[in-house]
Amino acid sequence: MIAAIKILTAVVTAFLMSMSFSEEQTGQDIMNAVERMLRSSNDSSFAQIKLSSCRFGVTAGRITCAEKPRVKILETVTMNLGVDNKDTKSISITREPASERGVGMLNYTYYQTDRENQTWLYLSALGRVKRIATGASDDYGEPASIFGSEFTTEDVNYGNIEDYQINILSQTIQDGRNAWQLEAIPVTKKAKRSRYARTVYFVDKERYVSLRSEMYDKYGKQLKRSISSRVEMMNGHWVARSVTMFNLVSNRLSNMAMVDLHAGLSVNEDFLTQRSLIDSAYRETVLNQLRSQTK
Amino acid sequence: MEQFLRSLSELFSRLPHVMIKSKIPLLLFFSLASIKMVELIYSETIFDLSSEAFMEEKSPAHRGLEEFRRQFGSDRSIFIIYKPTDGNLFSQKSLHAIQELTQELENWQDLDPTEYPEVDLQELGHIRKVISLTNVRSLKSRDDTLLSERIVPRSLPSSEEALAEIKRRALKEDDYASVLYSQDGTFGGIVIDTDFGLVLEEGYLSAIDAPSAILDEGFSSFDISFDEGAIVQKREFEDLDPREYLSFQSTLEAICDQYSHLFEFYAVGEPPLMVELWRVLEQLEKLGYLMVFIFATLLWGLFQSASALVWSLMTIALSIVWCWGISVFLGAEITSMIGLTVLLIFAVGIADCVHVMSAYFSLRQEGFEHSAALATTYERVGLPILLTTLTTAIGVLVLATSKLEPIREFAFMSALGVVLAFLFTITLLPVFLDIWHPKKSKDARGLTNRLDRLWQKQAVVSKVLVVAFAISALFVASGWQIGLYLSSIGILVYWVVNYSEQIFCSVLSTVYRFPTQIIIFFALILGICLFGSTKVFIDTNLTAMFREGHPLTKAIEVVDENMAGSQTMKVMIDTGKTDGLLDSNTLFAIEALQSSLENNYPETILRTHSVVNVVKKTYQVMNNNDPNFYEIPKSNQLISQLLILFSAADPSDRRSLVSDDFSRAQISINLRNMGSYDYKQMFSEVEIDIEEKFHHLESVYPKIEVVLTGTVATLMVVGDEIARSQYHGFALALVIISLIMVVTLGSISGGLMGMVPNALPALLAMGLMGLFAVPLDTDTLLIAPVILGIAVDDTIHFITHYRMQLSKSRNISAALESALREVGKAVIFTTMIIGFGFAILSFSDYLGFAKVGLFGALSIFAALLCDLFLIPAMIIIFKPTFHIKHVDKNINYQASGI
Repeated sequence: MIAAIKILTAVVTAFLMSMSFSEEQTGQDIMNAVERMLRSSNDSSFAQIKLSSCRFGVTAGRITCAEKPRVKILETVTMNLGVDNKDTKSISITREPASERGVGMLNYTYYQTDRENQTWLYLSALGRVKRIATGASDDYGEPASIFGSEFTTEDVNYGNIEDYQINILSQTIQDGRNAWQLEAIPVTKKAKRSRYARTVYFVDKERYVSLRSEMYDKYGKQLKRSISSRVEMMNGHWVARSVTMFNLVSNRLSNMAMVDLHAGLSVNEDFLTQRSLIDSAYRETVLNQLRSQTK
Repeated sequence: MEQFLRSLSELFSRLPHVMIKSKIPLLLFFSLASIKMVELIYSETIFDLSSEAFMEEKSPAHRGLEEFRRQFGSDRSIFIIYKPTDGNLFSQKSLHAIQELTQELENWQDLDPTEYPEVDLQELGHIRKVISLTNVRSLKSRDDTLLSERIVPRSLPSSEEALAEIKRRALKEDDYASVLYSQDGTFGGIVIDTDFGLVLEEGYLSAIDAPSAILDEGFSSFDISFDEGAIVQKREFEDLDPREYLSFQSTLEAICDQYSHLFEFYAVGEPPLMVELWRVLEQLEKLGYLMVFIFATLLWGLFQSASALVWSLMTIALSIVWCWGISVFLGAEITSMIGLTVLLIFAVGIADCVHVMSAYFSLRQEGFEHSAALATTYERVGLPILLTTLTTAIGVLVLATSKLEPIREFAFMSALGVVLAFLFTITLLPVFLDIWHPKKSKDARGLTNRLDRLWQKQAVVSKVLVVAFAISALFVASGWQIGLYLSSIGILVYWVVNYSEQIFCSVLSTVYRFPTQIIIFFALILGICLFGSTKVFIDTNLTAMFREGHPLTKAIEVVDENMAGSQTMKVMIDTGKTDGLLDSNTLFAIEALQSSLENNYPETILRTHSVVNVVKKTYQVMNNNDPNFYEIPKSNQLISQLLILFSAADPSDRRSLVSDDFSRAQISINLRNMGSYDYKQMFSEVEIDIEEKFHHLESVYPKIEVVLTGTVATLMVVGDEIARSQYHGFALALVIISLIMVVTLGSISGGLMGMVPNALPALLAMGLMGLFAVPLDTDTLLIAPVILGIAVDDTIHFITHYRMQLSKSRNISAALESALREVGKAVIFTTMIIGFGFAILSFSDYLGFAKVGLFGALSIFAALLCDLFLIPAMIIIFKPTFHIKHVDKNINYQASGI
């Protein structure tokens, strides 16, 4: 019954989105919708993510790992806050591999351009937590790699759409679905700190999910490409459950698989603090409570 | 043998007639073929002017370099050193200016092109990263925060105290000291990383873009499988054309010039080095034109015939065109060695033509008609030219044993060019001479004679005025040094042409009177040269390549004295296993190697940096900056987590030191400039050190590879190897040429007698270099066999002519006199043309060429003295008969008519 309600909600949301854009859809509108879809799917969520990285190669026409992939299992709790729920707090705890077990990352991401995002990292081997900071308010930190994978913080967070000039390039077919081909060019000072001078998105016209994106440097050379697969309805929102990021420079890939995702849970904001990083007993208790909500 | 040689001479004498008889089809064939060659040159020539062309592809250092570039990007960085005019690197003015300069280089797209009308700002697109004191960060722990903080804040303070605090903090940073600022704070540095050499080969398509490539199903089912047999695409980069550096460097200089009132700038690194070397090549091009001018002027001056000049140049030009065309047709890539090939063909071609012209002119003056003169000319010079072609070709073919493709191609191309010059001299030149042949010297219709008569009519004052005007014009056009040189040549040529008879009489008279003394004198010189050559050492050094005070030399000296050194090398470590660098044992091995490098070469290696420094620093920072924690933790888990932390704080720095999967890392080494000999020593010592430090890891990492590499250092080592192999090749060439002479002269004593005057010029150059402690470098040794080939030419002409005359006259005195009179003149002419042509290289700013020019010319002139004095003296003393029977061995001084 709950599943049916969630599906209905998603269909209605998508329908309303397409209705609102049916007259005049700008690139900005589309990306805002994509960003909203992503944000909604994560709100008050508890997810288990499998992050696999490897050097890729081709065998019998299939792109696959050419070596045993390094696999990391993460548990993530995310909550949207602030005006229009546009700020995000999230905590990620590493479960595997053993050498990184207990390593945690706490992120506060603010929609406001002039507000500095905050990151704390907990090293279980040292039992210490440190806030990672760039040190000056006019500095915008470089996008950090997510747990050593090919994904960086800017790949998983669109940030403020207003920081980009978004142009619709064409309407096309991607993976058998009608899609918009858009390009996003950073225009503000903050956005210019991006590693990418231009990103091309292929957005599903119906589901508002990015099916593919291509990241270019300022010389027009493609640096990375992400391919989404298994776009499924989860908790009432369309979610690409498997996103593979190809680094075309190093010939390495990382796959971020959303093994499990439950949104709309009852999450206490107090959990998204440094205490959860350091106090493993407290953390496990709260996580167990969240797990029980998912059953 | 004698019969064979005589038949060969007869064959040569008939050749002109045969060629002239079929001159129409012959000229048609050569014209069409030459057009085809020009077309081939334009359509098929592939230039490979990259420095990598000179690297042996399979060498570990080269492979290491390739791997380094694939993993960590281009190593072609530019290191700009600046010295503030106010003497304070940390003054607000200096910091502000460097901040601005750094931002301009980082955000060059924002610059206004109209402010830089002379340059193309798009060239700065090669910049990948700019690191200076004003944008570098330092990892700090403050309370609960790990701060990756700028050493110099964006917003600069104005108070002296705050600036002093910045200076204090900066000088405490060991990782940046001597790279971004000197220890005393008087010099600063900017590192500019570029993408030079990282342009993917044309047509490169990522594997995921292949039309049929699909993503493995495991990616959707969350169960990613792997296949170790999957083909991982290897990115191949286009060879870098060093000309790309030129416009980039000019643009960079234009930006820096805006700050020249605040700083003195010095630039080092591969790009500035290559730019300077390219400017040297441009200068060489000008000197090359001057050389051709000297060749042409002397040819005309010595023969006083326009046809002699035109046909000689035409023959040589065709040899060059055909050589180039055939080479590209056969798939050869043209490297920077082409200049040397052209030079060699020119020298050999000139020698061939001068001997033909000289003999032809002599015969015409003796009253021979054109056809008879041609036939007799080729009968006399055909065989010696064949022999000199063989010896010169062998001289250069010795280089074909080199391991390096460009050197091998140079050897084959040059040998081909020399053979072509011979073929054109015996086939086309007679046809050309038949179409337009030099007039008899007394022919009043000749342009030269008309000019001569006009000259003779002039009053002395007019002559002086004309000469003064010509000399002034030379001084104005080419500067005082070259002007003086050219004027001196002019005067010398005038003297030789007008007093040649007296010169020969003096030479003959001296030789007849003092043969023993002459031999003793030359033996003494030979002894000194032999002694000097034992002191010769092989070494190629960047600072020794340019004249004193050259900007590059000065920059290297400044960087070596004040900063961490002008050179960089890399140790590439590939454990062959994911997470290999998270193993404490691997890090301990790297630490041991770094310590060993720094301790074993304290005067040379000024800094090493690797992921080990980062792990130790992060460990210390995480422990409240306690210096006791500046060490590698023993726990692999802790290492892994420290690197996660560092990656989060400074991802780009982490990427520049260790690969994403932690299987590969690099040690960056800053060192002072050294000579190739020291680099080579270091390479072999470090290889042993690497083996020692990493051997025990092989059981855990069976595929582990640790390689020392670095572009400049690798090139220097390769250069040293070339030089050494050429040093031995030179000896080999000497032996082979001696054998040829023994065989062709049909006498061991004759052959050996010919080799002494051949060896002496070469030994003279080496002896002088040894005595004056001038190192033999790659450039000098590359051209040494070429010089030997040219020096040998005249001796062969002399001895062959003597032998032929002896065979005819059966009288040593008569044969000697004939050889001196007939070949002597040609020998003097070729020596003057080639010797003075070569000597122009002495004016090059690049000492590699200057030494070649100076010592090459010295050798060529020494060979002339040997031909004019030593060989005749030896003939008088040893009376060689070359197995010719019934020879009158009496040396009749009076018979010579002197």
